[in-house]
Parts: sequence; C-alpha cells; structure tokens
Amino acid sequence: MRNRRVIIATIVGAVFACVAMTGSAFAGNTYKLAISLAITGPTSDAGNPYSKGVGDYVKYVNDNKILGDDKVDCMIRDDAYKTDVTKRNFEEFLDEGIVLYMNYSTGSTLALKKDFDEEKIAVLPASYHAGNLLDSNYILLPIPSYSSQVIGLAEYVANNHKDGKAKVAMFIHPSAFGRGPVEDLEKAIAAGLNIEIVEVVEHGKDLDNTAMIKRLQSKGVQYVVCHTVQSPVATFIKDAKRLGVSASNFGEAGKMTFLGAHYTGGNDLIALAGDAAENFFWTTGFMLTSVPGEGTDFQLKLAKTYGRDDKLANSHNYTSGIMVAQVAVETIRRALANGKAVTKASLYEELLAMNGDNSYDPKTTTGPVTFSKTDHEGVDKLQLYRASGGVFKGEGAAFVPEYVSKIK
Amino acid sequence: MSYFFQLVVSGMVVGSIYALSALGFVLIYKSSRVLNIAHGQIIAAGAFITYALTVMVGIPLYIAFLLSMIITFFLAMAVERIFLRKLIGEPIISVIMVTIGLMSILDGLIYLTPFGTLNLSFPPFFPTTPISLGGVSISWTQLVGVLVTAVFIGGLSWFFKKSTLGISMRAVSDDQLAAMSVGISVPKVFGLAWALAGMSAAAAGGIIGNITGLNFDTLHAFGILVFPVVILGGLDSIIGAVVAGIIMGLIQQFAAGYLDGNWGLNGTADVLPYIVLLILLLFKPHGLFGTHEIERV
Repeated sequence: MRNRRVIIATIVGAVFACVAMTGSAFAGNTYKLAISLAITGPTSDAGNPYSKGVGDYVKYVNDNKILGDDKVDCMIRDDAYKTDVTKRNFEEFLDEGIVLYMNYSTGSTLALKKDFDEEKIAVLPASYHAGNLLDSNYILLPIPSYSSQVIGLAEYVANNHKDGKAKVAMFIHPSAFGRGPVEDLEKAIAAGLNIEIVEVVEHGKDLDNTAMIKRLQSKGVQYVVCHTVQSPVATFIKDAKRLGVSASNFGEAGKMTFLGAHYTGGNDLIALAGDAAENFFWTTGFMLTSVPGEGTDFQLKLAKTYGRDDKLANSHNYTSGIMVAQVAVETIRRALANGKAVTKASLYEELLAMNGDNSYDPKTTTGPVTFSKTDHEGVDKLQLYRASGGVFKGEGAAFVPEYVSKIK
Repeated sequence: MSYFFQLVVSGMVVGSIYALSALGFVLIYKSSRVLNIAHGQIIAAGAFITYALTVMVGIPLYIAFLLSMIITFFLAMAVERIFLRKLIGEPIISVIMVTIGLMSILDGLIYLTPFGTLNLSFPPFFPTTPISLGGVSISWTQLVGVLVTAVFIGGLSWFFKKSTLGISMRAVSDDQLAAMSVGISVPKVFGLAWALAGMSAAAAGGIIGNITGLNFDTLHAFGILVFPVVILGGLDSIIGAVVAGIIMGLIQQFAAGYLDGNWGLNGTADVLPYIVLLILLLFKPHGLFGTHEIERV
C-alpha cells in the first residue's frame, strides 16, 4: 500500500514537471536588458522621455511578438544623474543576467568604461561623447559623436559662409561632455577646415549674456556653435535677440548665426526660448516628427498606443530611447536568426557584424546603423534642422561630415 | 563708453535679481538664525505655480504672479509649521539638517509633477522690443525684475522698521528669550519669516523663469548660486543682500566683458565673485552689513 502511494506520487510529480517544462517551452525565453538613467535629477528633461522611449518600444516588441514567443525584459532604473548610483544599478543588472546594457550620462559612461570591458558587455549610451570610445571595446555610440556633430556644423558654416574665413565662437558646457569636441574641431581646422575659432566660451548659469555677446561681436564672431544643454542656449539666444544681433537668415552679415549639437536643440529649446529660437540650426542623427516618414509615423503610433501626450510623442529624446531599444532588440533577433544563444558575447558579435549588407535601418535615424570592429559610431549621417515657425524643419539632405574621417 | 554703461546696467539688473533671490535666506536667518538650504526649491515651486495658474487655469500672467506669491506665502508657512516648529530651541545644526531633508522632499515632490522634467516658458507678456537708451539696452523682464526687487526691499525695510510685527521679528532675532518675556510669540514670528521668504522666492522664480525659461535644474540652482550674495551681504541684512547682489552682478559683467576671452582667460565671470567674496570676508568676517555679535562671558 505504501509503495503504491509512492509510485502514484512519483507519477503525479513527473506529470507536473513535464507540464511545467512544456509550458515554459511554449512561453519562450526572456532576454534581459537594462538601462540606468536620469529619470529625475539633472538632465531628466532628456532622461525621462528617453526612458519612456525605451520602455514603450520593449512593450511593443512583447505585445506584438516581434521575437515570437520570446520576450524582452528591460529593467529601467533611475540614477538621478549620480554616477555612484549608476554603478550600483549596473552591478545589480549584471546579477540579474543582462545580455546588453544601455547607459546614459557622459560621466557615468567614462567612469564605468573599464567595468564594461571587464564584463565584456556591449553598451549603448545616450552620451555621444567621442572620448567614450577611447580605450574601450564595448561602448558603441548609437549616432555620430558630439565631435562629429560639431565638425559637421563647422563644415556647414565653412561651405555656406560667403566672405572669406568664417569667425566662429564655441559655447560649451563646462565639463568633459562640453570640452570633448573642441579638440577634435581644432584638429579638423588643422586638417584644412576653413573656419577660425575666435573664442571658446564655457558658460555658467548666466542671467544676462550681454557682456559676452558684445565681446564676441567686437571680435567679429558671426557664428556660434553650441554644445551644451538647452537652458543656457535659450538664455543666450534670447539675449542675442534682445540686443538685435541674431541673424534672420544663415550667415547674415554683422549678425550672429546660432548652431548646436544634439542636446542643445529640439522642441525643448523652442519651449524655453520661444521665438528667439527661430533660425537656430541644429544637428542630430535622429528623424524628427516634424518631418513625416516611416520612422516618425511609427514613433507617433507607438506613443499613441501607450497613451503618451503630444509633447512626449514629439520629443527627440523619446526617439533616442526608441532607437537604442530598436538596436538592442534587432541584435537579439539577429542572434536568434543565426542560431546563436542570446548571450553578452553573441550580441556583441552581432553588433559588430551590423555593417554593409547587414547594416540596420531603424527608420528613426537619419541613416542606417553600422558598427564594426573599427567603427563604434552607429549612424554616420547627420541631418541639419532649422527652427522655423516654432518647429525644427529639415535643412537639405542628411550628410556625412567630411573631416571626421580626415582626423581619425 | 556705451559698452561700459551697458555692463554697469546689466550688472545692476543681474544684481537686483540676485538680491531678490537672496531675500528669502536673509528673512529666515534674520529671525531664526537658520539657513534654509531648500530655498532654491521654493524659488522653482513659485515659478511653476505661476506657470500652472496662467497656462493651465488661464489666469492672466500678472495676476498669476501675484497669486503664486500668496500661495507660496502659505506654503512656506505650512512647511515651517509641519517640519520646523517642533525644532524651536534645538541646536541650529539640527534645523539646518532638516532643511537639507526638506530640499530632498521638495525635489521629490516636484519630480512627481510634470514640471520636474519639462522645459517650458511663460506665455509672452512683456513687449519683446527692449528699452534702449544711448546704446544701453535692457529687456522689459529685467526692468520688471529690478522694480519687483525695489518694491520688496522698500516694503520689507518699512515692515521691519515701522510695523509692530516687523519690530517683533527683529526682537526675536536679537534675543528669543527676551522677546518671549515681553509676550512676543516666537513660533508665529518664525512662521511669518518663512512665509515672507516664500513670497519673495515666488517673485524671484517668476522673474528668473521669465529670463531663463522654466527648467527645474536651472531654477533651483539659483538657491545655491546666490549664497555668496547672502554671505557677502551679511546673512541678516536686507540692505546687505541688495548691495552684495549688485556687487556680484557688476563683478560678473565686468569679468565677462573685460577679462574673459582675453589673455587666455575664461570663466572668470563665474570665479571672480567667489575670489572677491573670500578677500572681503578676510576683512569683514560678518559680511558687509552683518551683525557683529559680541558675547561677554
């Protein structure tokens, strides 16, 4: 009698085990991704929409079975822009078994560079600082670096300035993030780029930029290339407008034309500066919803599906978040399609193979994403936008800055 | 020469706004000897309340500006009542630590609203054409900033010198025990000091928000940015805040105008005010107009 009970219990146990195993096989695998970013704290005006872009795209992938029965679990954590918190988050993510990581700030990307290499995990940061790539194998910038962006803007100035050598001032953030591109632009000038940097201004929290503007004007500065965040640029261009020195069209003689890299522009600049942002020239590697296209239509649909308001739906930071999630998911899809187990190593391999015929066009960017062993800048093309009528509109076709390859 | 005068005017305008931002520190310190580290958060809250009233509720901007001052008056009074009232008589360092905690709480509360992570600006209200005279230009927002500062300084100076409440506040500031012994309610005085500080913070937030746009990081940074002004002026002196604000504003503008960009110098506009502060404090350790207390043992 006792033996009979043991046999029945064993059979019931075995059946349960089989059902459980079959069930999990039907449910597919779950791949863990993670991002630590500033959802609150400094720069959260960018980090918050970015986090929603990542989250919404991952939800879309799971809801629409983009990976079949497999799912993506993306852990999104706030680090309030504190590098120590980012490091702690990253270590916890590793314990959770993530296969790819998306980081955020320049400071934390630089600080964790060695950890990424030690862990051999591919990292897609929201910081496009070229210095991230120095002595690093695993950091991959989604779009052209800030240096490439600033060189691209300077090239546009050189190519479109009408009277001799253009006099340019740089208005930068007082940090590694801000200073990074200055040296690269100087190299481009040494390589023949026909502009002159008259002054590099590291801004503070200024309530009145009159003295600086008058000083730059007295030195004949006609173009100001900004590489910082929107708020100081907004105060600067509002003061320039008040003093009557803002150019009403590109290169207007005796006036200043303002240009800026990724984090200086977008709808946030217009929200802060109002009509003083008119004729601000801005470059990024992302498509904007003000320029209809397949990627932007998808972005607006995604935002609508997940109940996002108009402001978020049209934010380029939301686009940036979607884009890194797109790249991460596509990498997983390719690993699976190639019959590989989804691991840190296989995803890194797939990312580096993302070139030539294997390049990936997420449609949310101004060109395809290409990575290789020697190329860790994903999108190569930049699009110039110009603020007009309260929105940024495309200015000419997307381009690859010529001098970027010349200084490498 | 117009360049020089432009720098003078810009410096005085910026200095006035610094003084307005610094007033909240001074008012609280003057009555309770407490430094409110969360002052920047109240400045930001005032700006966002003005925005919410004018954009979301549809109240004209100038009325929203006045209403936000009234709201922050009561908000700051409530903050004092809830968080600080029970600390009366406790060591000052404990109270300052509470204001650091308060800063984190206010940060968290603002991040719970959309204002924490959005970039916004007030609807256009003032004429966009600046006021220009002899090559010197000033925007309407800046002019209003100077006028609001003047009204606050004038009003508070009168209040402290002539009104019974103001004299009570000064009495509490001089000696709490003596003030209590003549029937002055110290808790009420503290509450009123916080309320007035809240009101001035909202005014500063409205003016700064109009100049820089509404970005939480930028706005609350002014709480700390004006700290040198408060120290230089002498912590408990309203006139000191004004004079120090204008000195700081002028130093910044002259440094930006004459030093930065020349002889390889850069960023002197941000550093020089601190250097001047350090030098002045060597000779005037209580600030320019601060009370020099002498304890006889």
